[in-house]
Amino acid sequence: MASVTLKQIGKSYGVVTAVEQFDLDIADGEFLVLLGPSGCGKSTTLRMIAGLESITTGDLMIGGTRVNDTDPKNRGVAMVFQNYALYPHKSVFDNMAMALKLQKMPKAEIARRVNDVADMLGLTAYLERKPAALSGGQRQRVAIGRAIVRTPEVFLFDEPLSNLDAQLRVKMRMELQELHERLGVTSIYVTHDQVEAMTLADRIVILDRGRVAQIGTPREVYEQPATRFVASFIGSPAMNFMPAERAGDGWQVTGTDLVLPGFGQLATEADALTLGLRPEHIEVLPADAAVNDPWAFDATVKLAELLGADALLNLSVKGQPLLARVGGTDFPQAGETVRIRVDPARLHAFDPETELTVARAAQH
Amino acid sequence: MSRTMSLERRTALTGIGFVTPTVLIIALILIYPIIQSVVLSFGQSSIDGSQPYQFVGLKHYATLMGDGRFWNALGVTFTFTALSIPLELGLGIGLALLMNESFKGKGLARLAVLFPWALPTALNTLIWRWMYNSDYGLFNGVALQSGLVDRPINFLGDEVLAMGSMVVVAVWKTSSFMALIILAGLQSIPRDLFEAGRMDGMSKWQEFTQITLPLLKGPILVALIIRSMDALRTFELPFNLTDGGPVNATESLSLYAYKVIFDFLDFNFGAAVVVVQFLVIFAMSLIYVFALRNKD
Amino acid sequence: MQKRPRYGLYAIVSLSVLISFFPIVWLILTSFKNTAGIYAWPPQYWPDPFTLDNYISIFTNSPELLRYILNSFIVGAGCTAITLMLGGLAAYALSRLRLRFAGMLMVGILAVSMFPPVSLLPSLFQNFLNLGLLNTYTGLILAHAGLFLPFSVWMLASYFATLPVEIEEAARMDGMGFVRIFLTIVLPLSWPGFVATGLIVFIFSWNEFPLSLVLMTQNAMRTAPVGISLYPGEYAFPWETISTATVLAIIPVLIITAIFQKQIVGGLTAGAGK
Repeated sequence: MASVTLKQIGKSYGVVTAVEQFDLDIADGEFLVLLGPSGCGKSTTLRMIAGLESITTGDLMIGGTRVNDTDPKNRGVAMVFQNYALYPHKSVFDNMAMALKLQKMPKAEIARRVNDVADMLGLTAYLERKPAALSGGQRQRVAIGRAIVRTPEVFLFDEPLSNLDAQLRVKMRMELQELHERLGVTSIYVTHDQVEAMTLADRIVILDRGRVAQIGTPREVYEQPATRFVASFIGSPAMNFMPAERAGDGWQVTGTDLVLPGFGQLATEADALTLGLRPEHIEVLPADAAVNDPWAFDATVKLAELLGADALLNLSVKGQPLLARVGGTDFPQAGETVRIRVDPARLHAFDPETELTVARAAQH
Repeated sequence: MSRTMSLERRTALTGIGFVTPTVLIIALILIYPIIQSVVLSFGQSSIDGSQPYQFVGLKHYATLMGDGRFWNALGVTFTFTALSIPLELGLGIGLALLMNESFKGKGLARLAVLFPWALPTALNTLIWRWMYNSDYGLFNGVALQSGLVDRPINFLGDEVLAMGSMVVVAVWKTSSFMALIILAGLQSIPRDLFEAGRMDGMSKWQEFTQITLPLLKGPILVALIIRSMDALRTFELPFNLTDGGPVNATESLSLYAYKVIFDFLDFNFGAAVVVVQFLVIFAMSLIYVFALRNKD
Repeated sequence: MQKRPRYGLYAIVSLSVLISFFPIVWLILTSFKNTAGIYAWPPQYWPDPFTLDNYISIFTNSPELLRYILNSFIVGAGCTAITLMLGGLAAYALSRLRLRFAGMLMVGILAVSMFPPVSLLPSLFQNFLNLGLLNTYTGLILAHAGLFLPFSVWMLASYFATLPVEIEEAARMDGMGFVRIFLTIVLPLSWPGFVATGLIVFIFSWNEFPLSLVLMTQNAMRTAPVGISLYPGEYAFPWETISTATVLAIIPVLIITAIFQKQIVGGLTAGAGK
């Protein structure tokens, strides 16, 4: 097992920058997720660590050794690919044994290791089959097993669950979690799925157009997004954003009659902000409640959609559309007027120019 | 190999190693001879190197410009290309449309039309020469017996008929190849386009002109390129059918070059002919490559 | 389409098949006629008497015609082997190893493949003469390999493009070098592409004329198309022998085409689609 250190790692193709230089320390045994939409550079970063992509700038250290120019096989890393990448013409056993064979490990030792891992993953009955005779979930297990038998220092996962159907994905996600707890191997995991990232990660690196937007624990990236991009990417449904201008102590939402009271000490002198509010942080009260609360407003329900456990309300608050998520039982219907309350502590503020979060000195 | 060499460099070196044998053979067989032909065409030398190479400048090219037989060969080559390609294209599109229908025995039918292409041109040509024969040939037999003509037609002995006969053999042989490429293009057109067309009330003919033809532009262009390159360098067809006759009426540029080199044993003048032919074809291929570029 | 009898369609199909096929049928019929039947006027449509004499006489009196066919086999097999091996390696490197010059090299290879073979003749003949490669299998195999390597590189590269690159990357992670990846992963996974390319190259080589004509000047070394074309020499064309030899020389191609029709058509159109 080993720590992984990225020192000013960057990748460019000619004049096109694919990944902007950044630093990252991954602790021994940590589960780190690289998260972002397609084309954000997360796979490129993973492939640089794997050795499948050359590193343009910076140093990559695995277990304290610089490995920029080390062959993939000598980096002590194993990788699970999105499309499994199993050898279609070889049996499950041979797929899993390949790396060990190439290391010239004794046959008996190979068989022992492969059988152990197959046993752990429930693949024992399929060892003689070809990949084509397996289901998607089984293939995924073989791909994972192939990585495990090598007892690598670092596991690399490139969107390993994205080819599975929704149910299987949840199941495999939990298995991966258990596996990580059992083996404790440093893992780097690429995904565009925020649920996978939030549930699996010790820390998440969120990438946006080749640039690191934030590095933090799942709780940090959800509660304290560093940029507007992170705020919008994490959380479902996405955060409500409202452009606002300074109005006395408070903030007027641009183009509407909605005025919010001042909230805390903002580290900005600017007269304009983008305010952010998650749908789940809007509280819906009975129409006559909280009359004197400056953070309570009247709202009209434009559309109410039941999702099951939850319901989504399309609200209009003094001309400002807002999406709210409420419990799925007994929620107001379209056309009703309700009272909503906003928790100022949950209100986010972003600089409209830089899109960075505006720091707050104190809270109510 | 040193450990410190970058991954990228090591991969590139492996790649160069993989490519080198192929590049060497191509350079040796295709590129170097062209360069050597250029050198030969500017000089006077002997085949076995017993006399030193003597530079004579543009002498051979000047001779060439005044050589009626060269201009005749150039004309024959262009005429042959201009006559056969449109026929092949038309028949090729027709055959492709036919093969795109579903009917019993389609596999066999496709095989039958593929055979003429797969067989050696030289031998195909021999078969046709036998059928064209004015004394014992199949065509004259049928024509005379059915009363279509009252004396044998000299297919290969008449200047105009000989060219026509040659074009027929070429069209017979290569229409199926055209058809195959166009058929592949046809089959890659999404079916729902035609269904959408039908919903819009298109007739069969409109489907063909509005959907099929525009989407076949790419494959048709590719087929045209391949075939015209072939037609412009046609050699064994006139070699075996007519040997360029009568009165050089079917002597293609390739055949003329061959005769200059191996019948008259004039390698230097032959090299000049060959270089000019090369330039003509290269210019044509450049035009095509640019046409393809602009398509994308 | 509804089930409406499509006589028109079948009529056109039959006509196309007939036109494509009748010269070959006529050739085969001719080979079964005796000399009188061949030169009969009006032409004999059906061999009368039907005879195998021409075939027997080829095996007994004209063994050189069989030698031509053997030569074609040797040259075709050699050229196919070289083209697949070297072309496969090159195509793999050009499509997978991200060489900086790969795009340019592919275009260059395409461009040289359009060179007219006759342009090569003065130089190739002279060089082969001086190197002692005239009238050798090595020489003609090399020449054919040069002619058809561009085709095979393009075709194999386009086949490799259809394979998922992740499998090769997984092999790298497992510790394979590029040579081993090519031999144990790429080759087994792309054998249909190799089969199609090999068959077409073999047919190309079997059919090639100008270089085979010029680089093999000794009668015993000639390939089938050249040998048969030049067979009569100064005398009038002995059609009974020619037609029979031609039948024998086209049989291998007919068989290959018939069995591997799908692969050949697929390969040709994929190559041309680029």
